Amino acid sequence: MSTAVDDDLWSAIGDPTRRRMLDLLLAGGEGTATTLSADLPVTRQAVTKHLLVLDRVGLVRSAQAGREKRYVVDDAQLARAVAQLNAVGSLWDARLRRIKSLAEAIQQSKNTKR
Amino acid sequence: MEYGSIERELHVDASPEVVFEVLTSPEYIKDWWSAETDTEMEAGTSSRFTWTDANTGREDSAPFTVMESDPPRTFSFRWTYDEGVVPAPGNSLLVTFELLPTGEGTTVRFKETGYRELGWEVAKLEAEYNDHRQGWDFYLPRAAALAAQLASAR
Repeated sequence: MSTAVDDDLWSAIGDPTRRRMLDLLLAGGEGTATTLSADLPVTRQAVTKHLLVLDRVGLVRSAQAGREKRYVVDDAQLARAVAQLNAVGSLWDARLRRIKSLAEAIQQSKNTKR
Repeated sequence: MEYGSIERELHVDASPEVVFEVLTSPEYIKDWWSAETDTEMEAGTSSRFTWTDANTGREDSAPFTVMESDPPRTFSFRWTYDEGVVPAPGNSLLVTFELLPTGEGTTVRFKETGYRELGWEVAKLEAEYNDHRQGWDFYLPRAAALAAQLASAR
């Protein structure tokens, strides 16, 4: 795998307002556009747009609750997002180990020839 | 883990010249990254890395641009950017290898930066997350996915 990162997922999480919204949803267990906008310096309409982005990549799930939708964080998808970033570091570790063993093998064969 | 950048330092029992060659020649890049590339790594060169899935034959590729190539000391490139854009801070990741002669060998300083600028700083999010969802349902799939990725990286 090349980057091990899902671009849509990362651009969804890339926005600081959306990250703050995920924080609020995790802390509160759930939330609506109204409750979230009360804790954020943005309008309810802006919050609704951000929720749609998060919904599209599966980071939140919604259920209709009266006139509003109630949102919760999707545990599995968030775990996947976090795991992807950890995996990026591990992939570089594997590549660096390979670089080391390749370079050392070349050096050894050069030393032998000398 | 700090998500603003990935940094590693390791000692290699080979001269900086040898390490530099492994880092930059297409022949060796194919080995350590499973990536095909057709170009010599000179500053300003733009090309692509291409990965082919051995099982499915599916190809995956990404553009990159060499930022600095100063043998045998420094090699850096930008990648992880959208097609058609000029890579710069804020729209791409910067990979840097610095090679320092150390005794008979080389100290390699590796860095990949730009995560924060791309909005990838989720350390806080992860901390919140771990507070709330401790347990095997999180760590077990993660370990399995990681093992699979490491296996496929070999």
